[in-house]
Amino acid sequence: MARFIIRSILSTIITMLLVSFALFFLLEVGSGDVTVKILGIESTPEQRASYRAQLGLDAPPLQRYFDWLIGNDFRAEKLVGYPLVSIKNQQTKEEEWWANVDGQLTRWQMQKGQLLALRRQPDGSRTKHMVSGGWQTAKNGQEFFWGVDTDNRAVKWVRGAGETVWVRTKAGFRKEGDGPRQYIPLRKGLLRGDAGQSLQTGRPVAVTLIPRVRNTLVLAGVAFLFIMPLALFFGIMAGINEGKPLDRVISILGLGATATPEFVSGIFLILIFGIWLRVLPAVALFTSADAIFSNPKLLALPVMTLALVELGYVSRMTRASMVEVMSAPYIRTAIIKGMPYRRVVFKHALRNALMAPITVIMLHVNWLVGGVVVVEAIFGYPGLGKYIYDSAIFGDPNAVEAAAMLTVTIAISTRLVGDLAYTFLNPRIRYS
Amino acid sequence: MTVAQPALGASKRPSRLRKLWDTLSVVLNSRIGTVGLAIVVFWVVIALLSLFWTPYPPNSSLFVQNLPPNLTNVLGTDHLGRDLASRLMQGTQVILLKTRLPGDTHVAIPGGVALWGVFGSLFLGAILGLNAGYRGGWWDQVIMQVLDALIAFPVIVLYLVIIAALGQGDLVVIFAITITGAPGVARLVRSLALDIKTRDYIRAAETRGESLAYIMYREILPNARGPLLVDAMLRVGYAIFAIGTLGFLGLGLPPPDPDWGNMVNEARRNIFLNQWAVIFPSLAIASLVVGLNLFADGLREEITRYQK
Repeated sequence: MARFIIRSILSTIITMLLVSFALFFLLEVGSGDVTVKILGIESTPEQRASYRAQLGLDAPPLQRYFDWLIGNDFRAEKLVGYPLVSIKNQQTKEEEWWANVDGQLTRWQMQKGQLLALRRQPDGSRTKHMVSGGWQTAKNGQEFFWGVDTDNRAVKWVRGAGETVWVRTKAGFRKEGDGPRQYIPLRKGLLRGDAGQSLQTGRPVAVTLIPRVRNTLVLAGVAFLFIMPLALFFGIMAGINEGKPLDRVISILGLGATATPEFVSGIFLILIFGIWLRVLPAVALFTSADAIFSNPKLLALPVMTLALVELGYVSRMTRASMVEVMSAPYIRTAIIKGMPYRRVVFKHALRNALMAPITVIMLHVNWLVGGVVVVEAIFGYPGLGKYIYDSAIFGDPNAVEAAAMLTVTIAISTRLVGDLAYTFLNPRIRYS
Repeated sequence: MTVAQPALGASKRPSRLRKLWDTLSVVLNSRIGTVGLAIVVFWVVIALLSLFWTPYPPNSSLFVQNLPPNLTNVLGTDHLGRDLASRLMQGTQVILLKTRLPGDTHVAIPGGVALWGVFGSLFLGAILGLNAGYRGGWWDQVIMQVLDALIAFPVIVLYLVIIAALGQGDLVVIFAITITGAPGVARLVRSLALDIKTRDYIRAAETRGESLAYIMYREILPNARGPLLVDAMLRVGYAIFAIGTLGFLGLGLPPPDPDWGNMVNEARRNIFLNQWAVIFPSLAIASLVVGLNLFADGLREEITRYQK
C-alpha cells in the first residue's frame, strides 16, 4: 500500500513538472512580443527593447523557466553581495525587495551619475545617502555596481556608461540617462508562492488571484452541494426503474442537460429568470468584494447553470452504476429469498453502486473547472475562470501560467485523492 | 457525415466503405440512435444546401435590425440586420464541410473544423495508444506520463492557453481539438491494444515475423474499430460543443463565416430587445450535439448488444 501511495505521489510530481514545462514554453513560443501589448503599437523599437530588458525578457528561455519556477533571488544575491529580503509594504500590500546591508535594509538609485542609497527606517520611510564605495572593477577596467533598484529588480550600473532607458511611469513613458546595463526582476518563483507580476495590471498576480479563487470556491462549492444529492437521487431512481417511463424521462433530460453547452443553458436561464420573470439578477455584478455574502441572490443563476450540466452527467453515471449493481447475482439472491425491496436497495445495492460515481466525481473536477470558466464569463462573475479568460485574451503570460497551474494542481490533487480513495474503498484494484 | 460518406466515395473504394456502412447501419435498430442519426443528417443536408443556396447573402445587412421571425426572414434578423436563417445555414459549413487556411486567400480544404479536429485526435491518439499498449515497458510509462500531464489540464483552460499562445484561426482550433482529444483516444486504444494483443492471431503474426508497425496498424487497429467509432462520434459532439464555447467566448473561428457560438455571443448583448437571435443559434448547437450523442449512444448499445 505504501509503495502504491509513493508511486502515485511521485508520478503526480513528474506530471506537474511536465505540465509547468509545457505551459511555460507553449506561451513562450506563441505569445510573441508582450511589450507591444503593454506599450501599444505606437511605441518605437528602442522603447520596446528597453522595456523588454527591464522585464528581464532578454534572458534565455530556459533560465527564465527556472526563474519562474524556483525564483532568482539566490542568483541575484551572489551578484549583489548582500542577502536579499522581501518584506510586505503596509500600504500597497505588495512584497518589496531590499538588500540587507549589515542589518540595514537598503536599495539604490542612480541620479545624475551619482549613486544614492535608500535606507529603510523602521517606520517604513526611507532616507537618502550618497554612496562612493562598493564599486567593483571588471577585467576590462570598467567599474560596475550591482544593487537593488526601487522597482524590485537587481540591476547592474556601469560607471560613466549609463544606458539610455525608457522608464514607464504612471504619467507615461520617459527617457532617462544613467540607466542600468542589466536587469534581473527579482522573484521567489512559483514553488515558493510568488507567481510574478501581471503584465496587464502591473500588480502581483497573487494579489488579484486570491480573492478570485475564493469567489470561485464559493460558486463551485454551493453548486456541488446542490448537485450531489439531486444527481444521486435522480440516478438511483432511474437505475432501479430501468427501462420504465421514469427512467426514460430522467435519462433523456439528463442527456439533454449534459449535451447543452453551458453558455446555452446559462442564456436560457437568464432569459427565463432574469428577463421574462425578473426574479433573479441576470449578471453577477459585484458592488463590493464581499457581494456574494451580502447578496447571495447573485449566485443563483451561475449555480443553476453549473448545476444543470453537472447534474446530467453525474446522474447518468449513477444510473449506469446502479443498473449494473441491480443486475448482480447477489441482489437477485436477496430479492428471491424474500427480502423487502426497499431494504435490498438501501442496504445492499446502494453502497456498491455509489462507489463508482463518487470516485468519478473526484476525477471530474477538470470538467467542473471548464464549466466554471464559461459560467463566470457569461455572468461576469469575478472568479478564477474569468481571470484565466481575461488574461488569455490579453495574452498575459504570468497570469495565464499562474492561473492554469492552479487549476491543474486542483485537478491533479483531487484525482490523486480519488485514486487513493478508490483503492481504499475497493481493495481488489490495489495490486492490479 | 455518416450518410454522406458511403455516397461520397462509393465509386472509389466500395468494399471498405461498405464495411463502414455495415458497422454504422446497426444504429437503425435502435430507436434513440435513429433519432440521433436523423438530427445529424438534417444538419449535414443543411450544410450541403448552404453551399449552393441560402435565402439571402449571410453577411449583408439587408433588413431592419432585430426583427422577430416573419414571412420574409423565417428566423428573424440579427443586430446588424442580417438574415438569421442564412447565417445559421452558412455556419454549418465551417463546422462540418470546410476548413479555411490562413491568409487572405479564400482557399478552403474539404472537411469541417470539428471533423479534422477529431480526425487529428484519433490519428495522434491511435499512434500513441498502440505504441503504449503493444510495446509496453518504457514506451508505456513515458507515453502515459505525458498523456497524464495533458489530461491534467481542464479542457477549456488548455484551449485558452493554446489560443493565447497561437492566436485565432481554423487551424489553431483544429490543433487545440487534436491536443485535447488525443489523450482520451490514446487511453482507449491502449486498453483495447492490451486486450487484443493477447489474441491468437496476434501471436500468429508475431510468429510469422511481421514487423511491429504491421502488427500495430494492420492487425490491432482494425480490430479496435468498433469502440473507436463510437468514441469518434462522441468526440465530434464534444468538438462542436467546444467550438461553440470558444465562439461564445469570442475566441473561436474567425469571420467572415458566421460561427454559431459567436452569433450567440453577439446577440446576447441585445438580449433585452431580441431574444430570437440568441435562441436559434443556441438551439442549433444543442440539437447537433444532442443528435451526435444520441447517435453514439445508439451505436454503442447496438455494438455491445451484438458482442454479448
